[in-house]
Amino acid sequence: MGTINSAFALIAQALDAEQSGLNVVANNVANANTPGYTRETPDWQASSSIEVNGQFLGDGVQETGATSVRDRVLEERLVQQQQLATASGSRLTALDTLQALFPPDSGAGASTAGDIGSDITKFFASFASLEANPTDNALRQQVLSTAATLAGDVSNAAASANQQQAALDQEASGVSSQVNALTSSIAQLNQQIQSTSPNADAGTLEDQRQQDLSQLSQLVGINQVTTENNGLSVTTTSGQLLVSEGSSFPMTTGSVGGVTHFFLGNTDVTAQLTSGGGELGGYLTARDQDIPSALASLDQLAYSVSTQVNMLNNAGTDMAGDNGNAGNIFSQPAQVAGSAAAMSVVMTNPNHIAAAGLGKGTGDNSNALALANLGNQSIVSGQSPTDYYSSFVTGLGSTVSNVQTENTAQNASVTQLQSQSDALSGVNLNDEASSMSTLERSYQAASQVFTMLNTVMASVLNLGEQATVS
Amino acid sequence: MRVDPYFVSNLVNSLDLTQASEQQLTAELSSGVRVNSLSQDPIASGENVLLLNQIQQDDSFTESSSLVQGQLQVADSALGSVVTQLTQAISLATGANNGTLNASDLISISNQIAGIRDEVTSLANTSYQGQYIFGGGQTSTAPFTTSTTASPAVTTYNGDNDVNYLQTPNGQSIQLNVPGNQIFQGTGSNSVFGALNSLVADFASGTHTNQAVTDLASLNTALNYVSQQRVVVDNSITRLSAASDAVTSEQTQLTTAQTNLMQADLPTISTQLSLSETQGTALEDVIAQLGSSTQSLFSKLQG
Repeated sequence: MGTINSAFALIAQALDAEQSGLNVVANNVANANTPGYTRETPDWQASSSIEVNGQFLGDGVQETGATSVRDRVLEERLVQQQQLATASGSRLTALDTLQALFPPDSGAGASTAGDIGSDITKFFASFASLEANPTDNALRQQVLSTAATLAGDVSNAAASANQQQAALDQEASGVSSQVNALTSSIAQLNQQIQSTSPNADAGTLEDQRQQDLSQLSQLVGINQVTTENNGLSVTTTSGQLLVSEGSSFPMTTGSVGGVTHFFLGNTDVTAQLTSGGGELGGYLTARDQDIPSALASLDQLAYSVSTQVNMLNNAGTDMAGDNGNAGNIFSQPAQVAGSAAAMSVVMTNPNHIAAAGLGKGTGDNSNALALANLGNQSIVSGQSPTDYYSSFVTGLGSTVSNVQTENTAQNASVTQLQSQSDALSGVNLNDEASSMSTLERSYQAASQVFTMLNTVMASVLNLGEQATVS
Repeated sequence: MRVDPYFVSNLVNSLDLTQASEQQLTAELSSGVRVNSLSQDPIASGENVLLLNQIQQDDSFTESSSLVQGQLQVADSALGSVVTQLTQAISLATGANNGTLNASDLISISNQIAGIRDEVTSLANTSYQGQYIFGGGQTSTAPFTTSTTASPAVTTYNGDNDVNYLQTPNGQSIQLNVPGNQIFQGTGSNSVFGALNSLVADFASGTHTNQAVTDLASLNTALNYVSQQRVVVDNSITRLSAASDAVTSEQTQLTTAQTNLMQADLPTISTQLSLSETQGTALEDVIAQLGSSTQSLFSKLQG
């Protein structure tokens, strides 16, 4: 049978345990708003019972520390989903800026500035007007001024897209230093975790590591591999090492062909990062795919229109008597690439517009008719200029709209995962209040037991006599 | 079951979304346009480009057509006057050929026909907005000049055979001019100026000749030929106004289609806006209620 002394020891241990538990609760409340903090629960362990005279007697309780409540699968899912959401988010921001260069025209009456579609139409329609009176100076001026508007809008759009590309390049290269700071921090935390807590959850250290991982995944796409002793290796989604347990591998940048490329060691990982996800993935997708594709379409349009119009103008007769050498209306591009940015009107004298057919009198309009018809002929990649532009805006709009939908869905999924994760790991003040209350009551109960034991002990000491010891 | 303790911040996200939607709807309401960026409706944006292209083409055809209508009408009225003049010449020549007139009368008729020839020349040199309309592609020089040094006098055509067409948005070509040589210098007996010049020479001698009878017959043929060419001009005028009418009605239809495609449906948007506003207000209330710190269980604990 147990002694009163052992009961004293048992209850003193219980008081310690309750205090320790209260400590955990206090820490949870204190960190309720700390980003990345995972709530902890006290670990209770019943002390192993002892056998006295063939009877097993309980030996109280011990508080052995606190365990962070986390779900690693959930956390990893959250990290993966975050890198997708930030990739589509940063790509969407870039695309939104890009599509603003091509505003839809609201109506025939109210022409929107910079609407290339209506510029194309008006340019070719000016030749159609010239059919009615091929020698009229005002109508000829009209051709040059609509040509200037078209060339101006196309080259403006191309220049803005180029600027945007340069800006994205800069933003992307800025990301690499943030990535390096985070990877070295993760490597350091790995070392600490491996040395202090190789076999169990490392608590706040792991919280910090998870927080860094979460931030890193918003910058670049990553994969994480748990290694022995609670360590962690981080690779890019395509498998290049960023962190291997205690050491990190810095990402470096360098200019290749005028754009920033990203290197890990000596390997150029730009292409892999582009499809990898994270903010960097989004920036690079916009920089290397979306903007170049829009620019290529504009280039094709500018090249075909300039070349075909110039060719026809040089195949007619103008007011100045030039037969077949009336000159170019647009500056003649040498190659498709860069045509849009360089598009401009070089003709200054409207009399050099060759409205008449080759060798015909100046009153003839057959070449003006041919020029006007260019607007309906398949001169740009097998499509008429208007059809081509129409397909282009539909294509660009669809891309933006797809990315928008994708981003909305991914954000919703991130919110959901975050909610699930918070539901499990976040500090709920009501819960903590209730735990605190419970622990406080247990503490009170234990103290009460202590008091009772004290009274019992006094009775024992006095051997039934009252007064000597109270 | 545990719940997300940070649900209030999720509510704030919802409030942000509601406000973004309100902003979007307000923009649509104030501009009256449903599609403000390509991604809002990519298909409509593409379709819009095509519709506006068609509308603009129709518009520019309507303008051109009113311009050339004037030119064709001037041509038609000039040819009308030519027919009147030629009819008069024929009646003069018929009178001269009946054998009752004396030499001085014949000479006077010769002079009158010469006057008619000059009148017809000036009609053939009619210009519209500074451009000669019967000169083919040579619109800057007078198409017909008459040299009286030889007898019979010689009228030369300085223009060419060029014919201009105006193309309708549907691809039809409408003839805009008839070259002067086709009207006034048809081959053989169809030549107006040939017949007039010959008659002037025939009667100038003051004697009756069989040649004058032949030449009168030629003038009759030439008159018929001019009338035929006038029909070409008249046809063009008719086709032009028909095409113009068709294009105008097409334009009206296209504009309606374009408006339906791009314009905002105000009642729907107003309703959506009002719903968004209600939702926003409700969210704000919920956040205000839940966000107040007195709701924590800690406040209920006794010290």
